[in-house]
Amino acid sequence: MDFLTNLGTGFGVALTVTNLLYCFVGVLLGTLVGVLPGIGPVTTVAMLLPFSFTLPPESALIMLAGIYYGAQYGGSTTAILVNIPGEASSVVTTIDGHKMALAGRAGPALGIAALGSFFAGCVATVLIVVAAPPLAAIALSFGPAEYFSLMVCGLVAAIVLARGSVVKALGMMVLGLMFGLVGTDINSGIRRFTFGFRGLADGIEFVALSMAVYGLADIALNLEKKEENVEVHSRIGRVWPTWADIRHCIPAILRGTGLGSVLGVLPGGGALLAAFAAYTLEKKVAKKPRSFGDGDIRGVAAPESANNAGAQTSFIPMLTLGIPSNPTMAMMIGAMMIHGISPGPRVMTDRPGLFWGLIVSMWLGNLMLVILNLPLIGMWVKLLRMPYRLLYPSIVVFCCIGTYTVNSNLFDVYVMAFFAVFGYVCVKLECEPAPLILGFVLGPMMEENLRRSLLISRGDAMVFVQEPISLFFLIVAAGLLLVVALPGIRRTREEAMQE
Amino acid sequence: MLKIKAGKDFWSGIMFLCFAIVELYIARGYSMGSSGEMGPGYFPVVLGIVLGALGALLVARAIIAGDEPVAGASIRPLLLLVASVVVFGVTIEPLGLVLSLVLTVAIAALAGRQSGPLEIALLAAALAVLSVGIFHFALLLPLPIWPAL
Amino acid sequence: MTAKLRISSLAAAIGLSLFATAALAQFYPTKPLKLVLPYSPGGVVDFVGRTVAQHLGDVLGQPVVADNRPGAGGIVGTDVVARAQPDGYTLLLMDPAIVINPTLQDSVPYDLFKQLDTISVVSSSPLVLVVAPGLNVKTFDEFVAYGKANPGKLNFASAGIGTTPHLAGEMYKQSTGITATHIPYKGIGASYTDMMSNKVQFAFSSIAGALPFTTDNRVIALATTGEARNEVYADKPTMSEAGLKGFSVDLWLAVFAPVGMPADVKTKLNAAIGTALQKPDLKAAFAKVGVSPRGTTAEAGGTFVKADYDKWKKVIVDGKIKPTN
Repeated sequence: MDFLTNLGTGFGVALTVTNLLYCFVGVLLGTLVGVLPGIGPVTTVAMLLPFSFTLPPESALIMLAGIYYGAQYGGSTTAILVNIPGEASSVVTTIDGHKMALAGRAGPALGIAALGSFFAGCVATVLIVVAAPPLAAIALSFGPAEYFSLMVCGLVAAIVLARGSVVKALGMMVLGLMFGLVGTDINSGIRRFTFGFRGLADGIEFVALSMAVYGLADIALNLEKKEENVEVHSRIGRVWPTWADIRHCIPAILRGTGLGSVLGVLPGGGALLAAFAAYTLEKKVAKKPRSFGDGDIRGVAAPESANNAGAQTSFIPMLTLGIPSNPTMAMMIGAMMIHGISPGPRVMTDRPGLFWGLIVSMWLGNLMLVILNLPLIGMWVKLLRMPYRLLYPSIVVFCCIGTYTVNSNLFDVYVMAFFAVFGYVCVKLECEPAPLILGFVLGPMMEENLRRSLLISRGDAMVFVQEPISLFFLIVAAGLLLVVALPGIRRTREEAMQE
Repeated sequence: MLKIKAGKDFWSGIMFLCFAIVELYIARGYSMGSSGEMGPGYFPVVLGIVLGALGALLVARAIIAGDEPVAGASIRPLLLLVASVVVFGVTIEPLGLVLSLVLTVAIAALAGRQSGPLEIALLAAALAVLSVGIFHFALLLPLPIWPAL
Repeated sequence: MTAKLRISSLAAAIGLSLFATAALAQFYPTKPLKLVLPYSPGGVVDFVGRTVAQHLGDVLGQPVVADNRPGAGGIVGTDVVARAQPDGYTLLLMDPAIVINPTLQDSVPYDLFKQLDTISVVSSSPLVLVVAPGLNVKTFDEFVAYGKANPGKLNFASAGIGTTPHLAGEMYKQSTGITATHIPYKGIGASYTDMMSNKVQFAFSSIAGALPFTTDNRVIALATTGEARNEVYADKPTMSEAGLKGFSVDLWLAVFAPVGMPADVKTKLNAAIGTALQKPDLKAAFAKVGVSPRGTTAEAGGTFVKADYDKWKKVIVDGKIKPTN
């Protein structure tokens, strides 16, 4: 009955008025920074860190955690409504989510995103309670070779994101990998492909790139499409998902939650890979995969469940091992240290109130988010009723401020202007940005882990097949390549021949 | 019979080739290293070759199997949009958030040719107030609000 | 930080700047100050910077706004301050990268000694030598012996080329004659999984990074690199005590300002920093991340920074550590 005792301890801590209040403040702030393009949970948590010193440690961590998973909810809103991924992990949501919004189904898209996230959040919370130690072992068993093979697997899976030509999708992915190379090489310390700009020393800013190729390029296209009378989002449609929608999505949500929970544990691109993998899986198992990319509700439900589950389970290595799986978790560790708590296996036994309180608060926070977000959907959808001539300058303004505030660096704003043109050209040539973004995010990690593996193995490439987990991913990748790429290439060839 | 109609695939291929060539040209200055200690040039060179090959494949396929024409583009909205972003960059630090946003919104609104001057002015004012509220007061970001004297 | 305060200080700033740029020390400061932190939010510099900003603001009676200007290993933020007005309103908090970069990089945009003035060294924290448990070494001597007996087998982790953990590792190699392969990570925290599984065998880590792993011996702390023992690792010897005389690495943080600040403003600022560093709240906050408050005169600070510059220059030149094409 340990389990129930623990939960009881947790509820005892999380249900106090103070902690409920800080949880609410956290998820509210998180939703806000998630909706705003640019500024993300990392910045917000960092700014609140010194303030959290004055709070009891339980309240501080509950609030900071709320900001993090709250931002995951908020991020999907922007992705669906205005086609701007707030974070890398919501890139996938733009594919079908924004198409739904264009077709007047923004409400159901937002609704299913919220419900899927809530479900995933609940499951992941239970997982943390019952299976934190075995899941943490996964994170420990991943060395550089395993990561490299996982990245390979993820990139291969990304090919299915493509709706058109597989060759173009591959090209965009490789181009994304290249863009990811820009900046200081961590192994040699030299600056690559910076064209002499100091502003590129740390690479191309993700926010600038994604807002340009999604947000700004999209606006430019809309404006030229209907220069006469731009009313892109004229149709609103119903606000809530129907029962049929929800039933249709249940398997997708379940699979997304499962994938997200496992991949979220991995440090690095866990949540991002989870979202991509969930989308890929749905497209593969669906009976009519062709509707994916044209506003299939399952294309929203699966990745949104996956990235929220991943966000939640990324607490596992932090809480049980003291290993930060992303920058926000690194700051949570900082917050614990400020309060004199060393994250690691001992937290659970030394500070049960804190450990279980935090976990229970995540569940409560998810509940708050659903209660907060479902009524807000009506308001968000009304935003689309705003005439486009007023909406798009507002998007431009938030893109500019968002990009500028990430690093307080003007150079990033100019980078965004440059990539807006690039993104526009890509859309004109039917080269889709999703594989580009995936390559961009995973590329540096892939190179880093490749070189690190070979440094440690002293140049022996066999290390990738000698480690069982690494070998497993390589086999999966090879299998995917065969299953996915061959018919894909053949199909486009056939289509081309028919013309 | 082989009439080259430059279309979407053709130009995509050309774009990939261009990026590949520029990248390989720059990467020739980085050392390849050995497999045990890969130099900074190793991975980029591999990527450059792969991208170049994909580009060449696209071009070849476009020539042999035909191609779809690129839809017409009107450059004006794009240019004004980019201009508004650049103007934001140029003015945010010297002029502060409020004035910078007024200029950005004005130029962005021109891109759509839909709004009258009064509407643009109102929109700019509303966005300025909203942004100062959100970024300065709610999120406490160190953004300049007014021109530095 | 109320709206009223901001508006009144803005009005004051506008009014005053019409008259004079060189503010008189008795009125200084009349508007909010800016403390530039050249790293991303999160991490020790950011945390210490925000803590110092908060308390310094209380002492001076004007808010001190922490302004993150990350980029190029601190070069971007440092350059912003090097080119700022020396009016006492733009300050920089920086770590040893400020003295390492000029030697390590081919070119940096600022001249450390001609454009920047040390106001005060605000904190010190040693690194801690941690080793993988798989080595089965319990003491520093055993570790040195293991390294000598197993040439070419050891790997050491760092937070990237030219970071203090990297240079400390190189200095260790130079002073013991041991060989080890450098494995850079993005931040020392990322290396701990590989250290626990013995893929990487040792690292000179920040205390904040090491603490979660050393409390239950998932990695083994052997020694600290300060002049004196550190409170957090009071039972571990310093490197000097353990046998490497003169091996000292300090992850100090200092406040800098553009050269040419009026002398009385500089004095007032230095005194205010000294007062802020005495506050119990600040001391408590520093202690949690293994940082000790310090506080020096401007002269002593300048001498210290120059000495550290010379020390790292020697390590970099002797070890031929350069970003190479």
